[in-house]
This record gives sequence, C-alpha cells and structure tokens, in this order.
Amino acid sequence: MNWDRRAFVKFAVGAVVGLHASPLIPKLMDDSAIWTQNWSWVPNPEDGGLAFANTVNPATGTGVRVRLIKGRMMGERIIRVEGNPEHPLSQGGVVPADASAVQLLYNDEVRVAAPLVRDKKTGMYREITWQQALDMVGGKLAELAKAGKAHTVVALGDEADSIHGQILSRFMAAYGSPNLAFAPRADDTLALAAWALTGQTDVGFDLMNASYVVSFGTPLLEGFGAPVAVRKAFVEWKKSKGALVQVEPRVSVTASQAGTFLACKPGTEALVALGMAAVMAEQGLADESATSAYGYAEFKAALAKDYNPKKVAELSGVPADKIVAVAKAFAKSPKAVAVCGPGPGGDPGRLADFMAVMALNGLKGNLGKPGGVAARKPLGLKALGEPANVDKPRLDGGKKGMKPANALALAQAALAGQPYKAGMVLVAGGNPAYAGPQAGVMSEFLSSAPFVVAITPLLDETAALADLVLPGTTFLEGWTDCRSSYGSPVSSYGLARPLVKPYAQAKTVGDALLALAAKLGGAVAGALPFASVEEALKAQTAPLGDLAELAKKSYFVQDKPAYGPFAFKTPSGKLEFHSQNLAALTGKNSDGAALPHWEKPAALAHGDGHALAMAAVPSLRSATGFQPLTPHMLKVLDGNTLRHKDELVVEINPKTAAEMHLAEDSMIVVTSAVGSVDARVHLYAGAAPGMVFMPTGLGHGAVSDAYTLGKGGNFYRVAEAAADSLSGLPTWGLTRVTVTKRG
Amino acid sequence: MSANKGEHRFGMVIDLDKCTGCGACSVACMSENNIGTLLDETDKIRSITWLRVYQIDNGKAFPDTQIAFIPRPCQHCEGSHGHHTPCVSVCPATATDYDETTGIVSQIPTRCIGCRYCVGACPYHARYFNWFDVPWPKGAERGLSPFVSPRMRGVVEKCTFCYHRYQRAKNKAFLEGGSVGEKDYQTACTEACPSGAITFGDLNNPKHKVHELAKNPLAFRLLERLGTNTKVYYVSQRDWVQRKLDNYLAGEKLPVKAAS
Repeated sequence: MNWDRRAFVKFAVGAVVGLHASPLIPKLMDDSAIWTQNWSWVPNPEDGGLAFANTVNPATGTGVRVRLIKGRMMGERIIRVEGNPEHPLSQGGVVPADASAVQLLYNDEVRVAAPLVRDKKTGMYREITWQQALDMVGGKLAELAKAGKAHTVVALGDEADSIHGQILSRFMAAYGSPNLAFAPRADDTLALAAWALTGQTDVGFDLMNASYVVSFGTPLLEGFGAPVAVRKAFVEWKKSKGALVQVEPRVSVTASQAGTFLACKPGTEALVALGMAAVMAEQGLADESATSAYGYAEFKAALAKDYNPKKVAELSGVPADKIVAVAKAFAKSPKAVAVCGPGPGGDPGRLADFMAVMALNGLKGNLGKPGGVAARKPLGLKALGEPANVDKPRLDGGKKGMKPANALALAQAALAGQPYKAGMVLVAGGNPAYAGPQAGVMSEFLSSAPFVVAITPLLDETAALADLVLPGTTFLEGWTDCRSSYGSPVSSYGLARPLVKPYAQAKTVGDALLALAAKLGGAVAGALPFASVEEALKAQTAPLGDLAELAKKSYFVQDKPAYGPFAFKTPSGKLEFHSQNLAALTGKNSDGAALPHWEKPAALAHGDGHALAMAAVPSLRSATGFQPLTPHMLKVLDGNTLRHKDELVVEINPKTAAEMHLAEDSMIVVTSAVGSVDARVHLYAGAAPGMVFMPTGLGHGAVSDAYTLGKGGNFYRVAEAAADSLSGLPTWGLTRVTVTKRG
Repeated sequence: MSANKGEHRFGMVIDLDKCTGCGACSVACMSENNIGTLLDETDKIRSITWLRVYQIDNGKAFPDTQIAFIPRPCQHCEGSHGHHTPCVSVCPATATDYDETTGIVSQIPTRCIGCRYCVGACPYHARYFNWFDVPWPKGAERGLSPFVSPRMRGVVEKCTFCYHRYQRAKNKAFLEGGSVGEKDYQTACTEACPSGAITFGDLNNPKHKVHELAKNPLAFRLLERLGTNTKVYYVSQRDWVQRKLDNYLAGEKLPVKAAS
C-alpha cells in the first residue's frame, strides 16, 4: 500500500473514529478523576469486619459503645466511640469528650510510646526499656527508704476511689509516705457537707422525681455529674413541667433554660439559700423533721439575725421579694430539692456553701424522699482494703481522716521545705502542671523536685517537667473503673476493659505501680498481692459476679434511689443543724461556726487591689480540669471563643467594658495575684457586671499536638486557689483580677 | 409542593428548646464522616463542620439575656417549584444531586471539580471547600472510618444525612428480608444528642416520629421565604428564637404566636 495523502487521511479519520468508539477516553477521564484525588497523603482507611463493644468513659461516666474494624493489614482498630443505648443512665447519648476519645488514642504526635528519660539541661527525651525504668524508680525509692526519707515521697493521683487510686493509696502507705493527694473534687465537699448534717457521706439529688429544683450555681446542663445522664433525665423531667430556678451571676445555658433566673453577685449563691431558709423558718414553712432536729432553734435565730431577706438582698443583689417568692414556692412544692456544686472550672466548692444548701434541703424535709436528697445504696464492692497508717507528719499538716489531702498545700509546704522538702514526686494520672490546683505553683513544685516520675498517656505539661515519663493508657486500651457520678441519686459502677492492644509499650497506672511494687518487694509487694489490675478488679468486683461478664456489660447501675427513712449517723442520731461532726473536725464550736453559714469568699475579701472577679465558663465543649482537649472539641468551641487566631477570648459585660474603655475585640491582659494571661474581649450581655468569664481547657504549652499547642491562655494559670476554711480543699471558683489594655 | 417521586423524604426535626449547645452532634458527625481538624480552627472560611452549632441571644441586657443554640446540618433543600435545589441547580459536574427516592442532596467529592458555585449558591453556609489537604496527625488513619472516603484538597463537601448508614441499612434489610425501619437508619448526630433534641426519619411515613413533629404549629424552617423547601425543621416555644431565624420585618407578626 502506498502511503499517499488519501491513505493518511483515511488512517487519521479511522483513528479518530476508533478512539471515540473505544472506551479509552471515558476510561482515561474516569481514571484521571480518581488519580488526581488518590494521593498517598490522603488516608485510605482499610475496610474489614465490623464489631461493637460496650465500655464506659471514666472521665464523663458515660456508657459508650465502640465500633471496631478488623482489617487484614491494620488489625483491630477503633473507629468510633458512640453512645450505648442499653446504658440505663446515658441511654445512647454522648458528650464531645466521649465522641472524640479516639483522637487521643491514635495520635503518634502526642502519645508516649515508651518510657522516656528527660535530660534536665536540654529537655530532650531518651527512650529506655520498662525494665530500666523500673530499676531507676525502684532504686530511687529504695535509696530514700534506706536513708529514712520514705515519707518525703509525694504522690499525686486523679481519682481516689478508682482501682488505680486504691492501688496508689496502698502503695504509698506500704512504702511509708503519708503525702498522697488526689485531684480535688466537688464529690469530697458534698460528702463532707452531708456528713456534717446527716452523718451520711454518699448522697445524691433525685432531680428526676422533683417538681421544683433550685440550683445554686450548679451547671446542671454544662457538666454536672455524668453530663449525659443528667441531660437525659432533664428532658424527661421538663416534659412533666418541672420548675427550675437557677441562682448564679452569669446567664449560662442552665440559666437560659431555667424558668426563673436569679442573678446574684459572685459568690453569694449560698447566701440566697440561707435567705430562703430564713423565710421558711420565720414563716413556719419548715418541715416537722427539721424543727425537731438538733440545733434548730439556734439555726433559726441565726437565720433571723444574719440572713433575713432584706439583708441577703443587699449583699447578693437578688431582690428580697424574689427570695421570699422562691422560698415559698420551694416550701409548698410537694417535691422540691436544692442543688449545689460543682463550681465552674472543676472547682470543688466551699463546704460552708454546700452545707447551706443541704440545710435548705433539711428544712424542706426531703431527705430520703422521692424528689429529694437520697442516700446512695452501697455498691457492695469489695474494696482493696484500708491502706495502712503512716506514722509520719504529712506535708500539709493534715491527718488521716475526713479531710482529704490538699495537693496545693502539699506542694507549697514542700517548696518551702516546711516541715521538709520532697525527695521524689510520683504523678500517677492527671496533669497538675496544667490544671493545678494553681498551675503555677504545681509547675514550680515539679520543676524544683529532685526526681519526678509521671505516668501519662500523653506528652503533656506534667510530662514536660518529669525526669522519667512512663507511658500510660487511655480507657479504650486498659482496665479501669469509675464510681457513681457527682450528684447522681443512684449508685453506679462503670468498668472499662482493654478493647484494643495498648499503644506501643503503654501500661495502666495500676499495672505500672504493681510492677514497681514487685520490684521493691517487702511490705509494698505484700500490700499489693495482685499480678495485674485485672486481678485486683476481679477481687473488688467479686460480689457483683464474674468480671468478664461484668466487663462485657460494662456497668452496674442501681435501678432506683433508696427511698425510705433517712438513716442519720450523727452523734445525736438526728439531722443536725448545729453540726457536732463539723465542730469536731474544725475544732470550732462557738459563734455559729458549726452552723450552716455564709462566708465572704476569700478571693473577694482580700481583693489585692484587683477590681474584677474572674470565674470560669462551664461548658461541655471545652475540657475541664486535667482532661485533655481533643482537636474536635477545640473545633466546636463557640464562635466567640474561636474568634481570634491563637488568642484567648474572655466575656465581659458591655457596661463594665464601657466603663473601662474596652470594646469588642479589645486586647487586654488579665492579671491576678498569681499569674496573668493575654486575652481579647467579647462583650457578652449575659455576663454579670464587674466580672470576667474565662473559658477553660485552652492554653496548652507543652503538648506537641499542633492543634491545641499555644491556643489561647490557661485559666488555671490565673485562677488563684485558696484553701477552704472548713474543708481544707483548694477552691478556685472566684479570683480577683485586674484587666489592663495592651497593644 | 413535593418533587419527590419516591416513597421517602428523609428529614430532621430539631427541638431548639431542648438543645443545650454541647456540640456532641457536631463531634459525632466529624468522627463518623472522617472530618479532620485544621491547625487554625478560628479561620471559619476554611474550617469544615458539616453540622455547625451556632449560638444566638435575645439581645437583652443583663439579667434578661437568654441564649439559644442552632445546630445547622445541610438542610437538604427540595425547592418550592418542582425541582430547584440551590446547589444542585448550579453544579456543572453533577457532583451534587437531588435523590428523588430519598430527598437527600448527595455530594460525590470525586466528581467535584472545585468551582465552588454550590458554596456560593447555598443560603445556609452548609457547604465547605477543602482549600488544603487535611493535616491528619501521624497515626490518625487508624481511627478513620472505612465507610466514608476522606476527601482531598480542591473539592467541596457537606452533610449527607449519613447516607452510608442508609446504604448499610438497605443492604441489611435486603439480606434479612424486610424493609428499612425508623431505627435502622439514624444519623450520627441524632444518636449522639444527649438531650434528644434531634429527631430523624421519613417525613412521608406516618409511623415515623418526624412526620407528626414537623406538623407542629411551632415548627419552622430556616429562611423559609427563600422557597428552598428544606427538610430540616426547627421547633421552639420562644418567640425571639423564631424571629431570629428568618427575615422578619420589624413589628411583623410571626405565623404562629408561640405559647407563653
């Protein structure tokens, strides 16, 4: 064939027609669409068999269900944490901290993979083996014990009654140090308040069955107790037309949802409770059970003298007629309850305030009744046993007994070397360098201590100050448990088991301590005769049945509150308005010190020349206390908090701001007696005048996670913690601050 | 009004009086649909939140201030005159489509050419453009779901009413015989809400809760006047909340006077 012009044209036309008839073009276009979007840096999650497992998130008390995918290449992995619809309290709901828990499990940038030794000069970490790490800690502990300095070891834990907390308590006691403190919780304050008035320590509020609820600053919808369970109950409760009265200085979510909002001055919530109590006592509205209680006459006289509505109105800013109206409605409602604590920002609250609210419940006579204050039935667990007594002075001067140890006082005493300096610090859970109490003091304490060991799943602020970091686990990869949530009227027990293999070389706090105990031998090993946390849990949960069965179900919940005659365990055997228990605890019995009373918050009393009062903004979107902030939680913070790149935004009332010549977005510095932080102003009409409201959970410094690093400022660096005059626990509900312009 | 030819019209009723703005719905959505986090989430033009929770207040001074929260997923517009979903009608690549059998506005990121007409057309800011690849932290791929493809830069994404869950439910119904029931297909946000503020189901099916809830005289939709005929209904007793969510003129009466 000749290759002439005609042949060429025929070939070209044929080629074009052929190409169009073939699937090549659509195929190439289709492929190019896929290729251009199929880059190696876009993750391609592996498919596999889907399975579900129940567990519980101890940080929130939510019963959750986990979705697991088992693939051929990546093995078993958790892709979702969602609600467990079978859980009687949380009924399938979750909060952001639950739904984003996977982000803390799978993040190589922040997880501690292996034991790390930190070089003090350079701050660089060096990986060692568990064996070397245990030798190192065991060696130091043995050395201190040999030198008679066992009591100088300070341990900081997170939850006292969790299995890990119990192991830590036994470990420290057997080793011979009294210096053990857990993260301060409102549960301790409530237990003390209930104990002072009734002798019982394990109580809750039966909100679900109450028709009239008065909440004294309680963030009912923003983190009270087990947040999901509370809100499930709240919706049901609202359907039955229950009335809610909220007393607090800020228009919070709870205040917005309440039928009546009593805006009070900062720190005067409990004063309003006493004002209501005075109205009830004076008008003969108190229950019979209250009028026959121990010290009623004395209490009534004190109420009439110091807490009459007129006086309370003056101090609290709540009009007297409103106090009288709410008090009457509260007294006349068939099922009414007054609720207290926890304070914003994880503040454990003041004992006097909690006692005032409990006394109001006492006057109402709702103890042990449906819709009142319930004594929780014991769970029937076999606890590991009381730790041995340590015959050495505690750093904060406290003794073993009702008063829990104050972590801040321990740190301050150790820093001052009065009565002695810390020989070693063991941080077993929590993040005191970030969340305090009083982050500045805790950081200073950790940096100055001769040897600091931190067991933590994340490279957090505490890990950054530790000499030895041991890899801890999250609740998805190790055994852990939790007890009844704050304020819940029913007892509950949650059990979390390892659902996936622990990350790298991570161990639970309890397992790390057990390994250390075995290393030390002697009394310490004798006090902890368990090979693993699982075995310790087996011993503890034996009365509830088989551990494996219980773990599969993941919870044990008492079906309804224990109603019936309230068993008073006070010295008089009755309700005590004049608390003999409290008098014995504080050593003060006169001048009404043992009566429910109101004290001006220490933060407001001294002032320090600072003009405004600062409090935390309670929110389920942000992390409270030492709980880490996940990237997804950061993302859903409200638009005002996320207004400025890397900057903290605080709420100030527009009028207050105008008086200070501040406007929306003004750049300011918030300074307290203990620290300062840069911020921007958001004018929020719902903020009480004269106050600054600051979000928590921001301002992380050490975490190498690029999402949370350097975002905003840390509330716990500015908040001043003061020991409560009665309970001795640190409280940081209010702090005096000065706001100055910058830039 | 309905352009639906099929039997289903999936929709949502959100009770704003129950919503406490905790953000659980939003986080559950991000976890379910493999949505990442940017290094700077204050940049709301680039931030991707299929279900965003807005906060509004009544504008009154302390202590009469009140706040409310508006969870906003894609509204799955049907259009009032036959068939006119704002985003679907402008998409040149058929990357987004109105599924007439379910009433769900789909989004197929692999087809998207990144022109962003749909982003401009959406009156609810429910569509998001991936300006960059998601900066997943190292190791995060182990926590990603295989049921939803992670997206790359240059494409638009939005809420799909968890369509992959519908596909799964349909497969299950097919294998086991029977049909997809109300409980078989629920979105991640609905399940997560601890206050039970979100109800999801088939608006056409009288057995589904949403059918009745959407008929509540207090139920309304966002920017109803635009004629978008959306399938996300909001309920609130509060007058000021209703007023803030549509273009009411000053002094204009609401269609339904809220009780109390």
